[in-house]
Amino acid sequence: MFNQLMQKGRQLAGIGSLVTALGLAAPALAQDKEPIVFGGSIPLSGVFAFAGIHGHAGLTDYTDWINSQGGIDGRPVQYVMEDTAYEVDRSVAAFKKITGSYSPPVYYGDSTGFMKSIASELNSMNSMLMSGASFATALTDNEQYPYQFIPGPSYSQMFGIILEYIASEGEGGDMPTVAFVYSDTEFGKDPIENSKARAAELGIDVVEEIVTKPGSVDVSAEVLKLRRVRPDYVVFHGYVLSPINEFMVQMRQMGLDTKFMGTFWSSDKLIIDKMGKDADGYMGIMPYNYYDAEESGPMLDALRAQAEKSDPEAGYRPTAYIQAWFNAMVWTEVIQRTLDAGKELTGDNMAEALASIKDWDTGGIMGIPVTVKDMSFPVGRIWRVNAAEGRYEPVSDWIHLD
Amino acid sequence: MDWLFFGEISLAGLAMGGLYALIALGFVIIYKATRVINFAIGEIMMFAAYLFLAFAGGMEMSPWVAVPLAVLGGALLGGVIEKTMIRPMLGESPIAVVMVTIGIASILVGLVELIWTADPQLLPSFLPRQPVFIGELYLAPKIAYGFLIGMAVLVIYLLYFRFSRGGVALRATASDQAAAYSMGINVRRVFNLAWVFGSLAASVAGILVAATGGLSPQFGIIGLSVLVVVIVGGLDSILGALVAGVFIGWLETVAGAYLGGEYRMPATFAVLAVILVFKPYGLFGTHEIERV
Amino acid sequence: MRIGDAKQTYVADEAIWTTSTQKFWFSILLLGLLIFPLLANSYLLYLGCLVGIAVISTTGLNILTGFTGLISLGQAGFMGVGAYTVAWLSTNTGLPFPITLLLAGLMAAAVGFLVGLPSLRVKGLYLAIATLAASVFLHFIFAEWESVTGGMEGLSLEPAHLFGVTFRSDFAMYFLIVPLAVLAVLAARNLFRTRIGRAFIAIRDRDISAEILGIPLLRYKLMSFALSSFYAGVAGGLFAYFYRVVTPESFPLTMSIFYLAAVIVGGMGNLLGGILGAAFMTLVPEALKLLTAALTPFFPNAPVFMSPMLEIIFGALIVGFLIFEPHGLAEIWRRVRRFFHLWPFRS
Repeated sequence: MFNQLMQKGRQLAGIGSLVTALGLAAPALAQDKEPIVFGGSIPLSGVFAFAGIHGHAGLTDYTDWINSQGGIDGRPVQYVMEDTAYEVDRSVAAFKKITGSYSPPVYYGDSTGFMKSIASELNSMNSMLMSGASFATALTDNEQYPYQFIPGPSYSQMFGIILEYIASEGEGGDMPTVAFVYSDTEFGKDPIENSKARAAELGIDVVEEIVTKPGSVDVSAEVLKLRRVRPDYVVFHGYVLSPINEFMVQMRQMGLDTKFMGTFWSSDKLIIDKMGKDADGYMGIMPYNYYDAEESGPMLDALRAQAEKSDPEAGYRPTAYIQAWFNAMVWTEVIQRTLDAGKELTGDNMAEALASIKDWDTGGIMGIPVTVKDMSFPVGRIWRVNAAEGRYEPVSDWIHLD
Repeated sequence: MDWLFFGEISLAGLAMGGLYALIALGFVIIYKATRVINFAIGEIMMFAAYLFLAFAGGMEMSPWVAVPLAVLGGALLGGVIEKTMIRPMLGESPIAVVMVTIGIASILVGLVELIWTADPQLLPSFLPRQPVFIGELYLAPKIAYGFLIGMAVLVIYLLYFRFSRGGVALRATASDQAAAYSMGINVRRVFNLAWVFGSLAASVAGILVAATGGLSPQFGIIGLSVLVVVIVGGLDSILGALVAGVFIGWLETVAGAYLGGEYRMPATFAVLAVILVFKPYGLFGTHEIERV
Repeated sequence: MRIGDAKQTYVADEAIWTTSTQKFWFSILLLGLLIFPLLANSYLLYLGCLVGIAVISTTGLNILTGFTGLISLGQAGFMGVGAYTVAWLSTNTGLPFPITLLLAGLMAAAVGFLVGLPSLRVKGLYLAIATLAASVFLHFIFAEWESVTGGMEGLSLEPAHLFGVTFRSDFAMYFLIVPLAVLAVLAARNLFRTRIGRAFIAIRDRDISAEILGIPLLRYKLMSFALSSFYAGVAGGLFAYFYRVVTPESFPLTMSIFYLAAVIVGGMGNLLGGILGAAFMTLVPEALKLLTAALTPFFPNAPVFMSPMLEIIFGALIVGFLIFEPHGLAEIWRRVRRFFHLWPFRS
């Protein structure tokens, strides 16, 4: 089992030289123009490392790719990061360290806690746009977080898309019922209030709400509750893996034909890899195409080519990789638009450029053109696990919330 | 009120409580013999569960081999911890020893992350998957079989301590160290054995709990629930561990089901607070008398 | 060379400064603290602020655990009380920071007083469990009392202000945090020259004997709890002003353990130890990160090992210090000093 970690190391090593990533060596492109710096607080270790390592790979690969395309506006891109171990205070330390030596116009934040803690500083700096691993609903508040955006739908919007899908499955007056299962954390509780309101609007009955304590606990009592109300759908939020598997297995053992759905961080391959055939039929919402989706597009192909080039042995790239790539794509677009308008790279100008993104073609990363709304990209699609194939397959059209 | 529902919830809670009782037993054995409160018990459980994952998942051994191996590994770990890190603290203040176990917990978490990464894991399923019905009451199969295995181990332990030579030595040491020593009992060995047996019980429970709840480096949180159990039952009482284990397991589950998951911990800790105020040494614990 | 100092009066024994050399070095230290922010970049300033907050909280815990012998696993919870008090007050009343911080300390002290009540009946480890229970309840209140604490979302607040001056940058926060930290330590130093402080020590050494000597145990134990929590509350309040967001997840149980570890590693019952421990434990992760960065060119997968190594080092420090150096960094420091005092003779 030790080789798991070594394998991770290999993934890191395979990215190319991490030295470049750490900013110790000269920028890859020896152009005389001053580079544009992508900063990042990245959890290479700790509880979020499973995503952080791939996010790091995504950002590194994107940087290499954009430099091979001539950089942004003729300027090379340099990616500078620090490990945070997914601790807020260390994320902030990393931020201070990086902004002390560089002036990155864009920055990848690793957690909602970090994004919130750094907000006041970001607001007074007015020189940076930030996004990252968080899809927290709160960040769509432009008053409080004017320089932070979400690289996809917020958790509330994800629920909105899920609920819209569920509503579309209902026939006539026979709306499906739904139960929410979420963890007792900030992450878990994020979209619940909004989603109950949205469900009521759509006429969907939320028949049960289950809060689980973080950590490993037996959920059979909660399953018994669900058995009483027999929801047509259970939507999970705030988990990576456990206890989703336990709910699914136990409810199926009881003979319920409930369908199971989850949000972004609970919709990766990990579910299939760990649960095996028990994962069959599980549905997730994903704003991007999966790495192994049948779709294609210029940007998606470029991503696959770059991933293949940087580590030919890696094969499938998790959603965290694509998520990070998309973050960097948006940064590039925003910086490009700001520079094109002849403006400086201030927070205000970049936020304005971001807000101006309308019917943007993401080159296949997202399946349809996207329009920014409240600092988020409210697009998503429902995918279902095909355990025999070991992958997610689309079951809905792309849904764009307005 | 839906009595059938209440019955099912209670049953699930009692089954979980059985596992708590087993962990608490491991805790109490260590405390009785060595007067050490072991904050690392949750992490020892976790380590054994990861060992099982390595044996059954990574090396694809049959569960019949993997479970005993993992449990032995956990027991061995307990023995090593005692020898290397607890023994040097002999005679130090209890607070210092507790802090050592907290340090050990952190080391174990780090080791697990180092070896198996911090990613969440699932154990390969090794228990039957057919639902269990007791009358009309449904019981999740993992919980039911986990409970049965846990109880079997518990009974073996109780018999062992009642009748075997080692068990008698342990009880003798617990009741009077100096006397036991003068009667020719190897007290050091007893200390070590207590850690080995305590960790063994915890390891069995660890694998059973991880089989239902999944496994991650945060698994050790369960140690907090166990702490409540042993304080409520009385730190040095095996009977207390059993009764309080079942009760706390039941209470936690019922509170979770009727009030919501966020009430699980406060509910059990409320019982703990009441016990601390009215019966500070637990329901069945020995009252310590201090002299200057 | 200097060889010990004979003290002939109690006044001399109680004096904070026994020699002029001490005064000299202390002035140098203060001067250093004053100059540091002018030279440091924002990263070092940030770390300086973190250490300052940790020093206040560790000193508070040291009063309780190191000097009174009462172990507490509730320190993070008390800091949370202080942080929420500051967040709520500054959002709803707009009071300036001296008042909010004072109230934060008092509020935490009140909670600490309540938590200390079981110390009437239980002590030692049972008390530790009682404080653990308290931290569970406090976390529950932070998370569920939404109208006041903002629930899981937490509260955001405006920067600290006084007379129209706002403390927004790390530079400004440094001048808020560090003087308070110095003040906190000096106050604690003075405490142990008074009857109260000495009563604490007597209780630690043997509580029953202390009672026979005429020290009302309950009153002094509660006082110790309240004082320690006051420190935690102020530290929590500064934490709130520093990050300007407070959520229930800001104060996990691991934070309480962190402070206990800082007290142990620094040296229980030694104020200097508390300072050293707080600084050391805060800076270890950053030092380890430097090491990782240095190793990365040779071992590309070094970053993956950082967080696990940190857990191991954290635990090994606790275990190692308890087994090999129970008096902590302060004792090492003392030995080093002694070496120079006695040089060229061997001690």
